[in-house]
Amino acid sequence: MDERMRREGSLSVNTDRVFLHVATSFVENTAIGLGLDKPQALSLTLATEEIFEYLCEIASPEKAVHIRCRSGGYYVQVEFVFFVESFDLHAFNLTAGGSIDVETNPDEMRLLIASRAVDRFELNEDKDQGLCLLLVKEKAYPALTDEPVPPARPLKEFSVRDAGPEELKIFSQLTDFYYQRQITPTFLQYPGKLVDMVKGGHYQTALAVDTEGHVGGGIVWHWRNARIVEGFGPYVFNQPTQTAMAGRLVEACLGAIARTPAMGLLVQYPTHDLPKAYFEPLGHIQVYRENESKVVLNAYFRQMHEDAGAAVWSHPDLQRFLQKAYDELALPREIRLMKHQGEFRSRHSVLATRFDLAHNRVDLRPIRPGMDLHENVVKHLKLLAQEGVRNIFFVMDLAVSWQAHFTPSLLQNGLEPKMVLPYAGKGDEVVFQLKGPS
Amino acid sequence: MMKAPPLNKLVPAHVLEFEPYIPSKPEDELMRLYGCSRLFRLNNNENPLGPPASAQAVIKRFPPPRASIYPSGDAYHLRRKLALHLGLHPDQFLVGNGANEVIGFVIKAFCQEGDNIITADKTFAVYEWVAKFSGCEARLIPLKDFAFDDEAILEAIDDRTKIVFLCNPNNPTGTYWSERRLRRFLDRINGRQIVVVDEAYFEFVEQADYPDGISMISQYPNLVIFRTFSKMYALAGLRIGYLTGTREVVDIIRRTCVVYSVNTLAQEAALVAMDDPEHIQNTRDMVRRGKALVTRELRRMGLDFVNGEGPFLMIQLPMSDTLAYRKLMAQGVMVRTMTGFRFPNYIRLTIARMEAMKVFVESLAKALPEERAWEGL
Repeated sequence: MDERMRREGSLSVNTDRVFLHVATSFVENTAIGLGLDKPQALSLTLATEEIFEYLCEIASPEKAVHIRCRSGGYYVQVEFVFFVESFDLHAFNLTAGGSIDVETNPDEMRLLIASRAVDRFELNEDKDQGLCLLLVKEKAYPALTDEPVPPARPLKEFSVRDAGPEELKIFSQLTDFYYQRQITPTFLQYPGKLVDMVKGGHYQTALAVDTEGHVGGGIVWHWRNARIVEGFGPYVFNQPTQTAMAGRLVEACLGAIARTPAMGLLVQYPTHDLPKAYFEPLGHIQVYRENESKVVLNAYFRQMHEDAGAAVWSHPDLQRFLQKAYDELALPREIRLMKHQGEFRSRHSVLATRFDLAHNRVDLRPIRPGMDLHENVVKHLKLLAQEGVRNIFFVMDLAVSWQAHFTPSLLQNGLEPKMVLPYAGKGDEVVFQLKGPS
Repeated sequence: MMKAPPLNKLVPAHVLEFEPYIPSKPEDELMRLYGCSRLFRLNNNENPLGPPASAQAVIKRFPPPRASIYPSGDAYHLRRKLALHLGLHPDQFLVGNGANEVIGFVIKAFCQEGDNIITADKTFAVYEWVAKFSGCEARLIPLKDFAFDDEAILEAIDDRTKIVFLCNPNNPTGTYWSERRLRRFLDRINGRQIVVVDEAYFEFVEQADYPDGISMISQYPNLVIFRTFSKMYALAGLRIGYLTGTREVVDIIRRTCVVYSVNTLAQEAALVAMDDPEHIQNTRDMVRRGKALVTRELRRMGLDFVNGEGPFLMIQLPMSDTLAYRKLMAQGVMVRTMTGFRFPNYIRLTIARMEAMKVFVESLAKALPEERAWEGL
């Protein structure tokens, strides 16, 4: 990351309402200092207020909370690090607030309000450092305007290389001009954001450019987690049919991550230019648009290392699907079956919810098992349907045995397994999608 | 229980970013996972003929009680034998736990933070890894026509360049610099940097213009040569290799080296391994025959390949090399994927005995996609 972007401030106070104003003022002023506009800084401040109030409810006043506010280039994040003896994660369910009734459960509502005020809201647990609540608010960037884009010209010769800020902006414009928005990530509609993402080291790009600086295509990638790189593209603008540009762009991406810990390159929004010989098809999902029409999105994977084999956990109801998927992928996996056999479960299960509003999409992930997992799945699906979300997914990590307990509930509620994403979590992940209207 | 150490604070940034090398699982475990009953190891450029007969005899009669005795800390007898064999002084040799270890010695001896080393982008990865691990920049120069690009290397050199690593012949392309080209390069370097020439596959090359780097040390005192007993002499499991240079240069490198890192059995097997010219001839014959069969079949399948010097060749596939690896493993054939060498969709095949080569060819034909997806290649 550019050192000028690596700025942060921190504050330690007790979880006592006396310090509420100190905490909110600190976050508001620091966020503005780190580059957020006033409306975004106020959203982050609102979330801070709700979190701090919540912590004051659940922790005694002599406990300390460390608040760290740092710049990520295109966003500002606030971390609350604290220790509490018991912490009911149930409050982190999207549905925890039930019918949005502040009177019945005001504390849990605070977390819901906080989560809605920011772009990302996560809880991480560390046995030594305590609990860490993470809030992320992105900067507001101007979207692409309707100004006409100069058409890309076919490039006789080109090199594939890193790009400067102005080239990235042109790339962003051309991508939006030549490709449907259903198959492009939202950030490509905000040229300034793309520049900051790359400058901040969060995303990497390679562009095909000629000696005069004309952009003919490009590819974007980022680290989805410690093991998987997610790629977008390749995008090729108005080039001759036989061009090797797409292959060169993919090779540039593969070369950049070849000697890193990346286990694989995942492409979930492929373009028709994707050179299939470099990838393995994983399956497809159907993405519903607001007008009820649908787009089929194929997902592709490229393994970066020789596969050493692994064991995965499966509920018996998922075994056939997994066996077929692994046979097709020629992936050596030992499928270990598990079932609930009466062992203790906590009362409440917890699901994390990630919204992608631009694509009208939600991904659910299990955080904790619990006796209410079936009801919890039903409640989440109901609430998301009420909110008009058309594309609902559930992602299960096959390395985490208890997650398999969710399988029967998912199948009973119309979620069907669509594909296996190798190495996408602690182990492979299975993506379930809620069936659409027939 | 005590708190876990704050690793983010304790560990230097360049180490945190470093990729731990994860070796393959043991053979029995891989065979179980891939469901194969036999396994042809065609991935590591190991010599399937095994060590020369004389070395095998040493290994067989090694008295177990001697395992309790420390080895010679500086491979005393082996260095004397190498000196005699190669016409140098024993102090011009440094023996390591495989050639990989001596790469670390050289970088530690000459580089500090802020310095850089230069090598190719598509070559043996350990030069790059060790440099980065040591906090140095690794400048990677793209290969040109599958070979090290001398002009681009010379252009990349600056005041902080300490070492240039050349791999001759290059692993995995098998390309090599002729003696003339190497001399011209060394003349232009003019002694300003250490030039390491890794000759791990020296004994496999029969081309008349292929240089013997060791014979050039007296004229180019900045030259350091690596050789190994792992490849031709098939002692990979014992881990033994060496470097050689002028006494002055080797004296500097010796200051950074770990003594006692090379075990007794390795030293004694290596001592006799180089006395067996028949072994070298047999191995060369096997490689020649194997390459003839495989290249003929590859042509028949319409596959491109890079066939240079050394007991290996690189094959371009119309599919992901990591997928090909899995499909070949399921048939009991283990190859090296080339994505990590920055040659995506290539595999490197170690040339072995005829039976293994025939099984490889049959297995590859089955692994290839029915509809060849050549687009974009």
